[in-house]
Amino acid sequence: MASTYVKSITGLFAAGALLMGATGAHAADRVKIEWWYAISGKLGDTVQQLISDFNKSQDKYEVVGTFKGNYEETMAAMVAAYRVNQQPAILQSAERGFMTMLNSGAVIPVDQLMAKQGYKTDWNDFIKPVAGFYIVNGKPAALPFNSSTPILWYNADAFRAAGFDAPSDTWQGLEKQLYALKEKKVTDCSMALPGDFQWSLIENYSAINNYPFATKANGYAGLDTEFTYNKTGVVGQVARLKKWVDDGVLKIAGQGVAPISLFTSGTCATIINSTASHSGVEADAKFKWSAAVMPHEEGADVRNGTIGGASLWAVKGKSEEVQAGVAAFFNFVAQPDTQEWWSKATGYVPVTNTAYRKMKAEGYFKDHPTREIAIEQLSRGEPTDNSRGFRFGNHNQSTAILIEEIQAVWTGKKTPQEALDNSVKRGNEILRQYEKLHAGK
Amino acid sequence: MPASNAIMIDREGAATRPRFPLRRSLGSLVRSSEAGLKASHFRRPWLAGGLVAPQLLILLFFFFIPTWKALSLAFVQVDPFGGTMIFVGLDNFTTLFSSPEYRDSAILTLWFTVVQCIATLVVAGLLAFATDNVMRGRAIYKGVILLPYAIAPAISGVLWAFLFNPTVGPLAQMLHELGFAWDPNRRPFDALLLVSVAAIWKHVCYDYIFLVAAFLAVPPSVMEAAAIDGARPVRRFLTVTLPMAAPTIFFLIVMNFVYGLFETFGIIDTVTRGGPAGSTNTLVYKVYQDGFRQLDLGSSAAQSVILMAIAVLFTFLQFRAVERKVNYQV
Repeated sequence: MASTYVKSITGLFAAGALLMGATGAHAADRVKIEWWYAISGKLGDTVQQLISDFNKSQDKYEVVGTFKGNYEETMAAMVAAYRVNQQPAILQSAERGFMTMLNSGAVIPVDQLMAKQGYKTDWNDFIKPVAGFYIVNGKPAALPFNSSTPILWYNADAFRAAGFDAPSDTWQGLEKQLYALKEKKVTDCSMALPGDFQWSLIENYSAINNYPFATKANGYAGLDTEFTYNKTGVVGQVARLKKWVDDGVLKIAGQGVAPISLFTSGTCATIINSTASHSGVEADAKFKWSAAVMPHEEGADVRNGTIGGASLWAVKGKSEEVQAGVAAFFNFVAQPDTQEWWSKATGYVPVTNTAYRKMKAEGYFKDHPTREIAIEQLSRGEPTDNSRGFRFGNHNQSTAILIEEIQAVWTGKKTPQEALDNSVKRGNEILRQYEKLHAGK
Repeated sequence: MPASNAIMIDREGAATRPRFPLRRSLGSLVRSSEAGLKASHFRRPWLAGGLVAPQLLILLFFFFIPTWKALSLAFVQVDPFGGTMIFVGLDNFTTLFSSPEYRDSAILTLWFTVVQCIATLVVAGLLAFATDNVMRGRAIYKGVILLPYAIAPAISGVLWAFLFNPTVGPLAQMLHELGFAWDPNRRPFDALLLVSVAAIWKHVCYDYIFLVAAFLAVPPSVMEAAAIDGARPVRRFLTVTLPMAAPTIFFLIVMNFVYGLFETFGIIDTVTRGGPAGSTNTLVYKVYQDGFRQLDLGSSAAQSVILMAIAVLFTFLQFRAVERKVNYQV
């Protein structure tokens, strides 16, 4: 018995050595391409699937993906690594970090990279709201990767129980429904406040209702932009949300709980969250759910929402062959087939028209109607200066300030007007600081 | 004159030191002068250098280099990637001192640290006092009290956040049923209370270990004498044990301050993230928020310089106080 044990052990070792030798030789001929990404959970699994598909599709490069925490943590890791020349070849960075990356001097514009490596990418094929965000002076700065927009998710069973077919398309109508849900004791929580509410309930709200968020076309026309959202309908929006919070209609998830899980567990009847929640909601929600476009103000001049999500940046300081590998991977990601697969697996919008048309022609949206809502919302009306998107330097900082000030409204320390005035004042200091540092860019 | 007393002890202690073998072996390399230990020096400077090198290297990497980095960043505005840098003089500091948010954070930190320090000591003191009087299951009692120290701050933070989450937390539901409008997302006081309790709970065990040891070190003869004089346990504790444990208590006050000021980061990050509206955003957490989340490195560096100044001042004051007030003679 002892001898069989020994045999099996040596066998194991031999097999292990063989395996190691095989993978070692394999890895040695491949150029390693490091990619730091920032999405986790089911979305993270899909990223790993994408990487393994790419690695199987060719034998020259091996993309190694590492999850580095949320977008902010990934960016902080990138900054620290770049300063000691340990940066990855590819970085996934959120839309909020766009200006930081663009003016960092640490990136290669994606069109330059692709042209140099001999790839032809049809940049005109990217859908309008996506192209409008990532194309600077006619040229894309980064490869649009996971693009999303917030949509209104609702518990169809709860809505039916309260006597509604679907959520209203105006905030006024939705308010009545949410209060009815609570009064009819259908639910104790009519709506959950998303963690990134400033993106959906403030910024997208502002774009959809065609309110200016800042001067200079929300930052598109120059670094000397100034926030103006304390003079628009946003003030009323914050007041409305405060009233809902006070009346227990809108619940703040707080630490220890992901807001979307309050929806998928059936605790809260609605949430306005990214379309990328599809993979999670489809897997976890055990009730009849649906989604709708975000509401707008009564009588508003309704426009498109803005995108969120992230793009892929080619980072400077890498060898020629690594750059060639980055380009090969980007080319793989931009293929309509990859786009279609990615969109179906995650819920992110297909970023090219070709991929979108392909999905439509297949009848995918007939079977999955909620998957098309984001695209519909992103393409409502002709984009204006107010709805194209937001280009603010150090947008992460002004966002943190906005969140902190709105929290002061929840706590009752400040009125909506006071909080937004202070948020604009502090935010403008951030913008001036950025302008000073990046004058002439 | 307690000060001169202390020196006397020191000299006596020094006089007995040559007993240690290490010192004897070094004796040949060290020229001892008539003035004794203080004036002694190494004949070969490289040996002295070599012996202190490990310590100096540690200081270099973990103190001097970071300090220099913080100082060099505190007076500039810089792009996160280091591409652009503008010298701004004291701007980062003046901006901080004129910012109401920073002032609020400083007041909050002071409040939080003092309350945490006192509460931790009192709770740990009560538990340690009780230990003396627990007869059965003393090991279990001690084990249970020491348990929180073994849990990583981030894990315990997540648990506290979840248990007291107003929407799904079971303990929050209990509070609601008892009629408390508990909601740390909207009530700054609740958030501060939650963070404080979590921080105290985590640190009580540390104080407890030291206090149990200090209380045990009180000579039984003194206690018995007090008992014969008619002092009851509480009286004995207050008039005999506590004064005799004073050095430990002073040491713990220092440690609690250090803990409250610098080490509650993990708990704050997981329990409240500094919210709502900055109501639990302590100075250390703010350095992290501004530096690592928002990449405002200039301001973050200036804040660390201020914190460093506070730490240095504080250490100085503490040592002065400890030197004066604490009698090491037993």
